[in-house]
Amino acid sequence: MRRGQRFDPTAADRPVLVFDGVFKAYRPDCPVLRGFSLTIQRGEFMFVTGPSGAGKSTLLRLLYAAEQVDAGRILFLGREVGRLTQDSVPFLRRNIGIVFQDFKLIENFTVLENVGLPLQVLGLPERVVNLRVGEVLERVGLGGRGHERASVLSGGEKQRVAIARAIVSEPALLLADEPTGNLDPQLAVDILGLFEDIHATGVTVMFATHDRSLLDIRPRRVVVLDEGRAFDVPQGLEGAALGAA
Amino acid sequence: MNAFDRAFRAMRSDLEVHLLSIFSVGVAFVCLVTAMLVVVNVQHVQDRWQHIGKLSVYLNANTAPERINDLDTALRATPGVSGVRYVPSEEARRELMSDHGDDTLAALPEQAFPASLEVDTQEALTFEAREQMAKQLQILPGVESVETYANWSAKLATVFSGGVTAAAVLTLIVLGAVVSVVSSTIRMALQKRHVEVEVLKLVGATDSYVRGPFIVEGAAQGALGAVVALSLVGALYSFVRGTFEAHLTALLGVNISFLPWTLSAGLLLGGAALGAGAAYLSLRRLLVV
Repeated sequence: MRRGQRFDPTAADRPVLVFDGVFKAYRPDCPVLRGFSLTIQRGEFMFVTGPSGAGKSTLLRLLYAAEQVDAGRILFLGREVGRLTQDSVPFLRRNIGIVFQDFKLIENFTVLENVGLPLQVLGLPERVVNLRVGEVLERVGLGGRGHERASVLSGGEKQRVAIARAIVSEPALLLADEPTGNLDPQLAVDILGLFEDIHATGVTVMFATHDRSLLDIRPRRVVVLDEGRAFDVPQGLEGAALGAA
Repeated sequence: MNAFDRAFRAMRSDLEVHLLSIFSVGVAFVCLVTAMLVVVNVQHVQDRWQHIGKLSVYLNANTAPERINDLDTALRATPGVSGVRYVPSEEARRELMSDHGDDTLAALPEQAFPASLEVDTQEALTFEAREQMAKQLQILPGVESVETYANWSAKLATVFSGGVTAAAVLTLIVLGAVVSVVSSTIRMALQKRHVEVEVLKLVGATDSYVRGPFIVEGAAQGALGAVVALSLVGALYSFVRGTFEAHLTALLGVNISFLPWTLSAGLLLGGAALGAGAAYLSLRRLLVV
């Protein structure tokens, strides 16, 4: 009889994500990340902020293996991302939902088809895909809109579709790279609310934004990136400012 | 949605480019199909000539009728001979004149149409046995010469080998053309669907999942290009056959025929494999996200 992996009751308490002394530079004289270290626990909601070019997107791209670290390591669910083979990268990405500023929707696909892509990739039957997509669309407020083409949706609706696509496969981590960058302030707040609703179901969320107003809505852990260095503010910027005062 | 559904959808949404590609591949294949058609028919003619089972024993003008009778009897008794017919000089002239009503031929002297014994041999008789029989007949008194049609076979063999070489060269050209056309089309399709590819890779699709529809599209372009070529050459063949069949049959001694279905199916499968291979190669370095 083959021995299975022994059950480890402490596995659920381990951090979902660890950055350990990560260096990344596109030019040798100008590193984007200099020894970036950070630990994110399961079920956390964390903002990553900083000026444009500070390395927010790079940080996320390193995480889903679109870039490689120059030094240091990133552990996702205990596995070192930098040591994954090219063949293993798709399996890493199946555990991460990603939302982009430019939505990255396939315009000639319907909402249903766009949202169902992560499940299609897993090879689930059409019936299961449709059922699951229907549930997720309800959750993001787009119930009954599944058969509309992505090209006819407004910006806010497109971002909701992108969020639905990111959470449809119930990933361990949800990454958002400036998801409100193309939206007006009210829609941005609505979208942030949607992320908070998703977080309330136990999903770990990493939300990258340069929009300071979003950070002040509710006190959350914030990581500020500036000139390659990171400052971890566990109680949020407003809380930190009050503490300093 | 499987790779076929996704490929069909993509081809439908970008129909013009795909049709243009199929037509270009088809034009390349037309050259190859035409060369193969010629080779196949030359081979038929060559086979026919090799197994024609005929000898013409031309007689001297002054051969006595008794000598001709002796030759006839001896030939009929020879193993492998299935029939002998005596064609006198006047009949030879008459036969030729009925095929070609030419005044120049009519003006030729009687010596131009020697009397002959037309010998039919059994199909099983080998080329070498016929040659041997011809040699033995050649030395008999009253026989001027023996025609085995071997040099016609040799000439056809040369034509056939030239045709095969031409077809091989055309195959290489078609291979290059198909790879080039399909690769360009697939690269254009990839450019147009870069968001789809990027999204698929970001949601965890493997390279083979992303490649799938593009390879199906490449295979479809190759196979449909071959179908276009077979249809065009087939239509041309039907026209030629309908118009000139009697003349061609009289000239070649065989009915011209289209490519056998196995060869047609091979072209179709070859086109599909070539298209799929070209698509795979063109995607190899382009799927990095």
